[in-house]
Amino acid sequence: MKQILVKKNILQTNDEIAERNKGIFSEKGIFTINFLGSPGAGKTSVLEQMILKLKNQVNMAVIEGDLYTTKDAERIENHGVEVLQVNTGGACHLDAAMIEEAIQHIELNEVQFLIIENVGNLVCPASYNLSEDMKVTVLSITEGNDKPLKYPSMFQRSEVLIVNKIDLIEFTNFSMDELYQDVYSLNQDIKIFEVSCRTGQGIEELCQYFSEKIKLKGEK
Amino acid sequence: MHEVSIIGDLFQIIEEQIIENKLKKITKVVLSVGEFTCVEEEALRFAFQAYAQDTLVEGAQFVIEKIKATAYCQQCSSSFEVSFTNKICPTCGAYSSKILTGYELQLESLEGEEDETDFSKEEYTSNK
Repeated sequence: MKQILVKKNILQTNDEIAERNKGIFSEKGIFTINFLGSPGAGKTSVLEQMILKLKNQVNMAVIEGDLYTTKDAERIENHGVEVLQVNTGGACHLDAAMIEEAIQHIELNEVQFLIIENVGNLVCPASYNLSEDMKVTVLSITEGNDKPLKYPSMFQRSEVLIVNKIDLIEFTNFSMDELYQDVYSLNQDIKIFEVSCRTGQGIEELCQYFSEKIKLKGEK
Repeated sequence: MHEVSIIGDLFQIIEEQIIENKLKKITKVVLSVGEFTCVEEEALRFAFQAYAQDTLVEGAQFVIEKIKATAYCQQCSSSFEVSFTNKICPTCGAYSSKILTGYELQLESLEGEEDETDFSKEEYTSNK
């Protein structure tokens, strides 16, 4: 009988590929975010608002993840930003191998800000490292303020939370106080932005925050 | 999460170990799962049984070791147990986001029977 001490991480393949991707992004000074949230939270809409404000100052590229269709990539393309659509066909999250493949088809030289919009899902994407500098999660008012405690891993691992559709708060029983309390109980360091893509509220501050991060990454 | 694909990846690692260590049977598999890792134990066990069928792993004991989540306090340098909603150091009261353990999903160890066939013996090397 032989006992073998293995100590191998099951997700090591993903992590190894993610490290390689991260090396490429670091070398080129590309600030990368893993953009997360439920289906319909408003990820693509928030992204469109950010593009409108930032595209003349910052060179952006987007990787769109969905099971099917190129609908989101088409929306981004209409703004004149380089975008690649990844269709997983069934996988409910993007992984590092998909990103490795995707960046073969994007002109990364000169890119300062790469947004990887993940598949809409508050569960699985939290566990798959995509070589991002930070995870940014979008939560919309209409989803309810109880989601952070129901999906703690996602919110614990995010650096930024964008609370979207705040113009609809009066039509719901969403409690902003409870949301802040619950989110801070999971992650005291998280930065929260309240925005509305329809009224434009909060978008300026959000873009300023990312501009700083992009600048810092570029300087490194 | 993806219990079936996780077990699939686990079996790939097991296969590599079988070849590397010249095993003819696996009798025990120990998987460590961190408290913050989003996997369901029953689904893991179900997938394990399915994958093990008709392989060298069939009948092996599948042990799932649960790893408690801990964090490191940068204020007073102590380590302490945490949960999703409590990351306050019991020693000095500071909040810590430096998670030390809790995200594991690791094949810890295997137990198996070695293949004692000596392939250098004449009966295996001579042309008959």
